[in-house]
Order: sequence, then structure tokens, then C-alpha cells
Amino acid sequence: MLPENITAIVARNELWSGSAASEPYEAGWAREAVIFVRALKDPKGAQPACRVEISPDGMRWVPEGTSAPMPAARDAVAALRVKHFGNWLRVAADFEVGAESTVLMTIHLKA
Amino acid sequence: MAMLRSDPELSRFDPLPRIISHDDFSRGHCGWSQLVGNYEDDLDAMLPGYAQHTSAMLSTLGHWDAGSHGGMDSSYALKIATRPRAGAQNVAIKRHTFRKRGPIRFEVYFTFKPEASALKLSETDVRSVGFLFDLQGGDRDGDSDRVMPHLRFLNAENGSHLQKWQYKTETTPFKALGSTNKTFTHYHLSPEGWRDLPDGGQRLCYNEIPTKINWTYLRFDFDLESMRATGLRCNDRVFDMSAFDSIRIPAMKNLWCMLNFCMFAETDTDKRAFLYVDSVCISGDF
Repeated sequence: MLPENITAIVARNELWSGSAASEPYEAGWAREAVIFVRALKDPKGAQPACRVEISPDGMRWVPEGTSAPMPAARDAVAALRVKHFGNWLRVAADFEVGAESTVLMTIHLKA
Repeated sequence: MAMLRSDPELSRFDPLPRIISHDDFSRGHCGWSQLVGNYEDDLDAMLPGYAQHTSAMLSTLGHWDAGSHGGMDSSYALKIATRPRAGAQNVAIKRHTFRKRGPIRFEVYFTFKPEASALKLSETDVRSVGFLFDLQGGDRDGDSDRVMPHLRFLNAENGSHLQKWQYKTETTPFKALGSTNKTFTHYHLSPEGWRDLPDGGQRLCYNEIPTKINWTYLRFDFDLESMRATGLRCNDRVFDMSAFDSIRIPAMKNLWCMLNFCMFAETDTDKRAFLYVDSVCISGDF
């Protein structure tokens, strides 16, 4: 049987500013994840790093260690790759006052 | 019948003669994808009701205090999660077409809970869970409306524990998107217009803390020929569907023989609501 894989759209056309994070996504069945964050509009202000976070329960979050700069321009894409994440995944970023980005965030999971 | 009864995966269902799909979510999402709203030119055109949707997950129902609950006979269930904002909804959809207008049967084992973010029973935090079909007759049928039967279990509203089945017959006015007059949108899951199913009160097994769940059986029968509901059963209760009707709107030019199934969750508080689906069996007589 072919191994399971799925593309999940976790944030679509979402405005990220301040302390932003994607909705929790359960993926305990997957051995690896690639996460893409695309800027759908021209980002405003300084763009921070976005970081992968993991969780024991989907409610309490800790950095996993993987991070990448937020996309600097419209249609630019940031990529994050993780292999050990337990069950829960999300991406978080902390924006300075006045900075923002409208994102499409997709998680690509493979068993 | 003997084969069905002896098959541990199917024996808990009562399918019609042909099984269209049987999803136990130990083999992936089985075609249950995110209901995305219509748009043209710009995603900003998508109605907010659809823009809030996210992709369903495969969950082991892992809880902070007791670990993974698991499904009925595999580790996994489909999880449809809302955002943590009162009134938020999320919808998963499975898209088919039909080859004959006849009886179809939709059976699921489901449960619902709010996110276990408080050490309280939280029994009124989930507003509702429900399902709907999105149907349209064939292109040569004379009576082709688009027909959308909707049913929800209204668990609570504004903190009141109501526990009753409801249906709706109205959607919002159609809105054209973009400039080509090809794409339209309407919000059939708007909060307005839900009606009580006669004698539709039902107290389900919620259990005693937010991390204990029990699976509940649901069956909905619909006749594609008459476009009428013919039955609803939830666990031990059988409901009179003679007063039930669907949302009915004029046929649309690209949806012939459409046979779509949706399942949804709504939260009543600023806390995520979770609809878990252990398994789904969709069958028909054709």
C-alpha cells in the first residue's frame, strides 16, 4: 500500500500581526512535515522569523527549533521542514507593532 | 447480509444494497476535505463563513490527562475543529455524483467535545454538530432544484443546554463574485433560520469530564428521486421526518447529479469545538 500523505490548508488569506500562530494541527500519523508560508499580499513592516512549535496537548506550545524568515515579498514562500514533532504542529511568529503579513500556510505530511 | 453481519468493520452499519463509500479513517482522510468558499480574482471575495474553515485532521483524540482515546476499532478518527471564537464553524466535505436517483443512506459514528482548556465539565461550550447534503438532479431532469438537507444537533446556545435536532430551509441571498457572471456564493450555514425538528429533543451521552468521549450512532435516509428525507435515527431514537424540509434553490449550471456530504461543528464560546467522526458508511439502492 502506498504511504499516506496529505496537504492541509491551515491558514488561508489570514492576516498575521502581533503574536500570530496558526491553528493547531494534529499529525501524529506522519513521519515528516514540510510547511510552506506564502505571503499573499505585500508584507508590511519588518518581517520576523516564523518558527515551528510542538505541543503535548494542542494547548501548550514550545519551539521545536526550526525557523525561517517570513516571506519578504508578495508570493514569496518560506519553507520549514520537521521530522520529530509528536502529534501537534503549528507555526508562530511575533511581529513588531505595525508589521503584518497576509499568509497562506500549508502543511504537507507524509507517513 | 450474512457477510455484512460477520464483517467487524461493517457489521455496526445497516447499509442499503450498495456501499458507495466506507470510511474508517485508518486509511487516511478518505476524501473528506475542507469546504472552501467560492471566489473569483481575489480570495478576499470569499464569504467570512467559509474563510474561517481549515482542513480536517486525523486524530487519536489525544488528551492532556488521559492520552489517546482512539476510535472504535482503529487509533484514528476524523477531527473537524473550529477556531476559538464564539460562533465559529468548520466543515468537512466529501464530493461525489450519483448515477441513479434513488434512496441513499448516510451513517456515522460521531462524538463532540470542546477543547479541554478548563478543568470543568464544559457541556455547553459546543454549540452544535451536524451534517448536510448538497444535491442537484441530472441535466435532463425536469425538476432539478439544488436541494440541501441540513440537520444539526443544537447542543447549546448562548450557554443554554438545549440538546435538540434542528433543520433549516433557508440560505442567504446569492451574491455574484468577480466580473464574469460565472461564480456565485451563498452562506447556507448562516446562524439564522434553524427550526426545531418536532419531538427532536435528545440527551446524548456527553460523559463526565471534557476528555471522556463516547461514540454515537447517526443515520439519515434521503430519497434522491423525490428529494425528500425519509428517516433519521440517532442511537435508540427514531425521529418523525414528515415536517422536515431542505434548503431548495434553483438548479445551478455546473452541478448536475451532485452528491455532496458535509459534516460540521460550531462553537458557542471562545473555545475550539471538535467534531470527531470514527467512521462513515454511505450507501444507496441502485
